[in-house]
Amino acid sequence: MAAQTEVLTGFDHLSDQGRVSLRGWALRGLLLLPVLALVLALPYQSDEWTNDAIYAAIFAMVGLSMNVLVGYTGQISLGQQAFLGIGALTAANVVNTGTTAADPFTFAIGILAGALVAAGAAVFLGAIALRIRGLYLALVTLVFGSVTADAIFTIPSLNGQDAGIPAYRPTALQGNFAFYVFALAMVVVCIYIDVCIRRSKVGRGLIALRDNELVASAFGINVLGYKLLGFVLSGAMAGLAGGVYTFWSQEFSDKNFTSGAGFSLALIFVVMVVVGGLGNRAGVIAAAAFFALLDPLLTGFAHHTGWLTWYTDHKQYVQNIIGAVLLLQTVIFNPGGLGQVLRPFTQWFSGKRFSLHAEGDAAGAALGGGDSVRA
Amino acid sequence: MSVLEVHDLTIRFGGLTAIDNLSLAVNEWEIVGLMGPNGAGKTTAFNCITGFYKPNAGRVLYRGQDVTRVPPHRKAAMGMGRTFQNVGMVKSETVLENLLTAQHTKAGYGPFLALTGASAVRQRERDLTAHADAILELLGLGAFRDRRLGSLSYGTLKLLELGCALASDPDLLLLDEPSSGMGPEESHELGDRLLALRQALGVTMLLIEHHVPLVAAVCDYVYVLNFGKLLAEGDPEHVRNHPEVVAAYLGGEAPEALEQTEAPAEQAAAAEELADAAPSEPASPAPRRGLRRPRKEAS
Amino acid sequence: MRVLADEFSTQINFITPLISGIADGSAFGLLGLGLVLLYKSNRIFNFAQGEFATVAAVVAFLFDRGIGWLPKLPYFLAIGIGVLAAVLVAMLTERLVIRPLFDRPKVVLVVATVGVALFLIGAEGLLPYPQTASLRTISDVLNVQSYVTQVDGVVVLDQDVAKLIVLAVLAVLAFLFFRYSNTGTAILAVSQDATAARVVGISVERVSMVTWGIAGFLGGIAGVLLAVPPSGSVTPGAFTGLTLTIAFSAAVLGGMTSLPGAFVGGLLIGLIQSFANADHSFVPGLNSLPAAQNEVAVVAVLLLVLLIRPRGLLGREA
Repeated sequence: MAAQTEVLTGFDHLSDQGRVSLRGWALRGLLLLPVLALVLALPYQSDEWTNDAIYAAIFAMVGLSMNVLVGYTGQISLGQQAFLGIGALTAANVVNTGTTAADPFTFAIGILAGALVAAGAAVFLGAIALRIRGLYLALVTLVFGSVTADAIFTIPSLNGQDAGIPAYRPTALQGNFAFYVFALAMVVVCIYIDVCIRRSKVGRGLIALRDNELVASAFGINVLGYKLLGFVLSGAMAGLAGGVYTFWSQEFSDKNFTSGAGFSLALIFVVMVVVGGLGNRAGVIAAAAFFALLDPLLTGFAHHTGWLTWYTDHKQYVQNIIGAVLLLQTVIFNPGGLGQVLRPFTQWFSGKRFSLHAEGDAAGAALGGGDSVRA
Repeated sequence: MSVLEVHDLTIRFGGLTAIDNLSLAVNEWEIVGLMGPNGAGKTTAFNCITGFYKPNAGRVLYRGQDVTRVPPHRKAAMGMGRTFQNVGMVKSETVLENLLTAQHTKAGYGPFLALTGASAVRQRERDLTAHADAILELLGLGAFRDRRLGSLSYGTLKLLELGCALASDPDLLLLDEPSSGMGPEESHELGDRLLALRQALGVTMLLIEHHVPLVAAVCDYVYVLNFGKLLAEGDPEHVRNHPEVVAAYLGGEAPEALEQTEAPAEQAAAAEELADAAPSEPASPAPRRGLRRPRKEAS
Repeated sequence: MRVLADEFSTQINFITPLISGIADGSAFGLLGLGLVLLYKSNRIFNFAQGEFATVAAVVAFLFDRGIGWLPKLPYFLAIGIGVLAAVLVAMLTERLVIRPLFDRPKVVLVVATVGVALFLIGAEGLLPYPQTASLRTISDVLNVQSYVTQVDGVVVLDQDVAKLIVLAVLAVLAFLFFRYSNTGTAILAVSQDATAARVVGISVERVSMVTWGIAGFLGGIAGVLLAVPPSGSVTPGAFTGLTLTIAFSAAVLGGMTSLPGAFVGGLLIGLIQSFANADHSFVPGLNSLPAAQNEVAVVAVLLLVLLIRPRGLLGREA
């Protein structure tokens, strides 16, 4: 292994002080291009890809929201889909376009309102989380998720009953690719917030309280307040994703969030966050994109191998099995998840030495035998 | 002016009175020791003082202010730093990140500003990092800056914990057995270090300690607890030879508490004499002697 | 069937909800028993418990109808094989998933059971059988009248009586098992301190296997009793999605460590839900509550209990 690492040194262009040279940054930029190509060029080519990419973006935002809640704060939540739905419902209701395209100002308000209302609902859930912990909290979030969906999303005045509420995009974003760029921008916003969290006392406070509430208190962290903050931030991001979701489908229909559908979402989100690696930004985004794109990819594969009809009839179950196997594999053999696998690369891109033995992330310890995630 | 005053502190857990009418005081720039056999209630007293437990009766005054019911995180902001018996830090983070987390109250920006990533926040983060590096330097832990806690030895962890307690520029340090797990040389170094810290930073300290040489070297005043009650108080010499203190340790705990100056046979004889003698009033404490080092100029 | 009456009618406003509440409640209780067992022994929520039930129901269905290359077997044999299948699945889960994760934090185990549930749902879904069908009821099989009696015009179904009786019997057996049998005590010992249990000679591995086997058995019984008309079916994930939420509530209400509690809790939840969902038109103004009122009622009660008394009504630990 040492010899291997030797060979790889020198191409990261790090000076003795560990600073990346100009050439080093150029090299990193160059290798980033294929990633950018994938993310931008492919959707530009095909409308189908754009649709799938938007879906992936929405999932990525939800993943990031769970990253804050589960990864940093260590609160287990199986009701995240409720915030997604709340964001969607709020945005749709605020905009309430009828048959016309929304004007950009109302649209912006709608998106923001979605995030804010979801954040508010998250405070409520967070307040409950202060009293109840670990496994019981898991239960409560699960119930919260399904009850919110069934009780609130089914109110006729809010959801337009069977037809759903229309939520048309502003004219500027009517085109799929344009909306995709918007969705990407929202993902970038979430990533930015996540980075700000992680690099400030907010992230440190959340992680400290996950690890050991007493020590966190002794360090001056207001544990109750920060727990709530964790929920609020998580809810806001998920609500933002909800807003994007509703304008993507240009309507709000409660069928997407209630009972079976809602529960499936909850499960997918949990799988996504675990397979991605708790607390790992890049891993969660990668996993989210993977699960969002799983259906299109499999459909394409089935199409080419002649299994299309069978697959279409059984797609949900095939995806279940794939998700389950990945989840179990991650939990048992690879607790750091995709994040751990990607770590050498993300570290390198951020200007460090390339090393295959990159030390695990703080949250990698969450699954791997530490006692970080509260139970 | 006293930094810390505890008046008639009492706390009960179910039927057990863990602390019974405890009063103590720590004056500016003093290093005060809190001793007693295991189970005497020393850590419980700490928990009451720092706000992790709510006492049933009594008051805790910090610089004259009643802080009995103030929660721990606010006490930290007011200037109380504390360490824990089992090393208390954020185990999943690196050394540097722990030191940054410990400066939470001195971060200088609110959580919502943090989310914007404003340059003010980034500047403060640089300042915090510099301060953390300074502490690492002060304690000689620079080499461990980016290491995860899991790979460090117990002694290093204890030292780091001290660093974290110091990180927020506290006025009062409460240290729970800082020398546990250390051999005689390391304890000696720790003693020197604590004295140097007081000199350099002007912190007042309250220590829970078992290690008598350390107490003797460092403490200006000592309180001894047994079964939750104050047994004796005074300067280390006085307390060490106090009959009831000797009895408490002999009857209960390891020979660690006794200095190996007397031969075992003499100790046994002394114990017998004590047992025969009628219980006496605790000898009046020797007058509080001054600090061992010249006072630091007020900054 | 909502027959609106403006006056309080014993039949409509009390007996109907009462009977359906008890029937549903027995179902919840049955599923809750398995959950409590595993919580008592492993300190985790088994997300896959509902799927153990479904596996049993599906396998029983396959053999009862003789689907594919499987022989058509007599009903009671098919049911037996179904339950056996559930036991096998549970023990496999223990061996392949739970055992390797024994030392990890409990939350990790719970997440793993989510994975198991997902996997089972997927596997069931891929089997070729009509997924919206149901198992036959016992009265169907024995060719007897489907209801035992009528109370004030409301029928009491055979199947429901069977559910209640089986639930009661199992709850009592489970309670006695933990109190008085050696294996039961061993299970409790392992749940409290596996290392200490090992030291006194208990084989932790065997205990674990037995525990999950019993949980599989309980789940299987629940499955074959519940997957019948009018509301049950052999749809993959049906038990997990819908009933598990409520079964959890039952277990919590009764206390996650109390087996009789699961029994009581299940019945209570069934009754609360049933009465909340019933016709309230005899109370002026109460007629226009939203359809999800039963769920909200259940959740409200659940939360209240958890907040006031974290160990449930009958449980012994928080």
